[in-house]
Amino acid sequence: MAINKPYNNRAWLGVLPVLLIVAFSAVIPLMTVVNYSVQDILDFNSRFYVGLDWYRETLQDPRFIEAFGRQVLFSLSVLAIEIPLGILVARGLPKSGAWTSVLLILLAVPLLIPWNVVGTIWQIYARSDIGLLGVGLNELGLAFNYTSNPTHAWLTLIAMDVWHWTSLVALLSFAGLTSVPPAYYQAAELDGASKWQVFRYVEMPRLGGVLVIAVLLRLMDSFMIYTEPFVLTGGGPGNATTFLSQYLATMAVGQFDLGPAAAFSVIYFLFILLFCWIFYNSVMTDETVEDAVENTANNNEARHHD
Amino acid sequence: MANIVLDQLGFAYPGALEPTLLPLSVEIKDGEAFALLGASGAGKTTLLNLLSGLLVPTTGRILFDGVDVSSQSGSQRNLAQVFQFPVLYESLTIADNLAFPLRARKAVNGFSAADIASRVAKIAGELEIENLLKRKPKTLSLFQKQLVAIGRALMRPDVSVVLLDEPLTAVEPRTKWQLRQSLKRLQEELGVTMIYVTHDQTEALTFADRVAVMADGKILQTASPQEVYEHPAHEFVGFFIGSPGMNFVAIDSATPAPMYAASGVDQSAQRIGFRPEWARLEHPPMTHPLSAVHWLGRVTHCQILGTQDGAPVGITTLASEVGELKVRGAINATVGEEIMVVVDRCVSFCAEHYVATHYAQSSTGQLRNLVGDE
Amino acid sequence: MTSVSRWVLVFYCIYLLLPLYWLMTMALRTNSDITGKFEVIPSHPTLANFAEIVSNPVWYQAFGNSLSYVVLNTLISICVALPAAYVFSRYRFLGDRQLFFWLLTNRMAPPAVFLLPFFQLYSSIGLFDTPLAVALAHCLFTVPLSVWILEGFMSGVPSEVDEMAKIDGHSFAYFFFRIFIPINRGAIGVTLFFCFMFSWVELLLARTLTGSTTKPIVVVMTRTVSASGLDWGVLAAAGALTVVPGIIVVWFVRKHLVKGFALGRV
Repeated sequence: MAINKPYNNRAWLGVLPVLLIVAFSAVIPLMTVVNYSVQDILDFNSRFYVGLDWYRETLQDPRFIEAFGRQVLFSLSVLAIEIPLGILVARGLPKSGAWTSVLLILLAVPLLIPWNVVGTIWQIYARSDIGLLGVGLNELGLAFNYTSNPTHAWLTLIAMDVWHWTSLVALLSFAGLTSVPPAYYQAAELDGASKWQVFRYVEMPRLGGVLVIAVLLRLMDSFMIYTEPFVLTGGGPGNATTFLSQYLATMAVGQFDLGPAAAFSVIYFLFILLFCWIFYNSVMTDETVEDAVENTANNNEARHHD
Repeated sequence: MANIVLDQLGFAYPGALEPTLLPLSVEIKDGEAFALLGASGAGKTTLLNLLSGLLVPTTGRILFDGVDVSSQSGSQRNLAQVFQFPVLYESLTIADNLAFPLRARKAVNGFSAADIASRVAKIAGELEIENLLKRKPKTLSLFQKQLVAIGRALMRPDVSVVLLDEPLTAVEPRTKWQLRQSLKRLQEELGVTMIYVTHDQTEALTFADRVAVMADGKILQTASPQEVYEHPAHEFVGFFIGSPGMNFVAIDSATPAPMYAASGVDQSAQRIGFRPEWARLEHPPMTHPLSAVHWLGRVTHCQILGTQDGAPVGITTLASEVGELKVRGAINATVGEEIMVVVDRCVSFCAEHYVATHYAQSSTGQLRNLVGDE
Repeated sequence: MTSVSRWVLVFYCIYLLLPLYWLMTMALRTNSDITGKFEVIPSHPTLANFAEIVSNPVWYQAFGNSLSYVVLNTLISICVALPAAYVFSRYRFLGDRQLFFWLLTNRMAPPAVFLLPFFQLYSSIGLFDTPLAVALAHCLFTVPLSVWILEGFMSGVPSEVDEMAKIDGHSFAYFFFRIFIPINRGAIGVTLFFCFMFSWVELLLARTLTGSTTKPIVVVMTRTVSASGLDWGVLAAAGALTVVPGIIVVWFVRKHLVKGFALGRV
């Protein structure tokens, strides 16, 4: 890789279009939000500067704290399942062959379904009157009804998220695993290494970098989740499955309480920025993935060499 | 350390139209430094993979010390392999990397921790890498990493054979010869059977006790580097070995020139080959035109490689009545000049196979003729 | 690999397929059939729901609306990202790392935060209820992502290619459009896939920024409530149809998919 990149400030020309578009989409709206977050807006003409009042109020709002708590619980739960499951699935995939393409496509499908459709699919699937899962569970004797029982609602949501996003972890892990040149497996076999040792000393070092990325991505994305729970449970029963995004959305759009909504947005965004910073630093110093990709290319060359 | 016999070994990939390896037989002696030399596509990697247990033979058998191991896996055969690029455990220190093969088989060979530590120290000492033991692979140069990889392959005292798959490929050119030296020295000191696969003839000829030259899935010749150089069993061997390789001239069997007969080349020969270093340039006319095989040629190119006794030596390329010829030695002609190529020694081939070696008559007129291999 | 992993894979595939199977069976049954009797395998499969979607303008226009902003977004994103990615991969310049990081933060931004300002912004410049509005809004995520992925691939193309073109006497434009872009076909394909993956699936912004004329499929589906309650059959059929474009896209880029994930780290 390591192209020696010359220094040239005229490169800014190439970046200009991107800058303009993203600035338009991001900077202006963000400035608006920050602006609103420090004002009390009664109507178009009467606005009062209130400093950090909204921030204080939001952080002390019991409903905010509850939503935050639920969000953390949800994110940790799905992470705890999706990461190990994704790794196992990736290890189970054949490295090459006809089945590999088919299975990869199957794994990619949940990632390409509109999020509301994901919600709809699970709605149809889990309902206790018309759903395969719902009816099935009731037939087995469990009084399953996610619309009325908060625990069932939680479990269904987690099951849905696992269905939706484990593929991401699996595909990332698979990318990491397939970057291991076969020679490493062969060397370990000749050494007499056990299966566990192969996993620990050959695969884990490669997976390490990929996993950090997977964890951070899932953490960030699950923190922002909105559509799927909205469609499936609507945040209910009651408030049981109302997470942060939904709370923010109802505040911003439904109630037109711009000040607090804006403050909330800013707090929310700052959390994400924090995760982002960690993500960026771990990715930029992690050369494993890029070296791995290059190694794979080199190995393909080596394999044709007889 | 094991004696390895390949008995009519052949291999074809499932569904392939032609076999990759035609049935071949060769014996590699215990403690021998053996090289497998051939161009890309010759089948040497396939042969290596059969030896290491990665592939199962389609025909024939592989015997280690008389035991048929054809269906055994690599680890069952107790062999070790050095790859084209250093294959190390990135998360372990060099010391742990070296110890790994012994620790993994602890249950089988009963090595104690002390035994393992002393073996690590010994091998590290042989390779002169004691100062690297506590470091991680990430911090080492490619050359150092490949040294460690070689060390790992030598860790087991009872290893049957060490396979080396073009081990110098990834190493910087400056350090290649250093690695070659270390390898040769280790092989001799430890007496380990080593099979070295390469397409580079310098590596093969300097390392090996015996070389097997491969092309198109066949072993064309298995012999010492000297033999392979002087008495190539096949035209391809003559062509492949040497830089540049042999010159080949077709003999018109209907009317062969008398000079061939004088050198002892008989009717069955179809082509003769001579190495550029077996010929010299002489200004016409020849004093004894029948004493040696010779042709008139016009110099097209001179490549100077150095000097000897103040005179330039190198490779002279000529266009002659029998095609392009190359001569290596003193350059005593200029481009465009007409000069004689006189062949002091040549080899005759029939159907690409070796027939005999022929020498030019000495200036006293005595015929010296060697027939067949010694 | 190990048998444990194999079994996990098998069970996970079943886990993936069951809800999709159920979607298909529902799509092939009429609403009254569904609410009337529970069947694992439909006894009277029918294509009536699909017919309804194809013939009812509310539905097929909605599909069209969605496709229009997705295509628009992909086009804009790729066009804008190509020069930027090229420049990131070939040169260093003042503030390049910071710029890259800032782009990344946008990909990670929660759409909910932008709901309000987007709504006001697009309304005020008269872009509300147009596919362009949604396309531009989605650019917030897809452009940084595109730059990220394209840069990753482009860094693997040696700069000797650029130099050779220069030595051959080609102008920069010729090099960029006739040599460089064709080399990066795979990368552009993967980028297309990820842009699609973001834009096609997003709901919140798509809903907020569209009105009655440009209602996308995602919105129509969430509003399919008639006087007699939800029409499950039609809903399922519409859902099934939204899966199709995704499968088509991934089929085309399947060879580059794994490498794309390795580099896209998405």
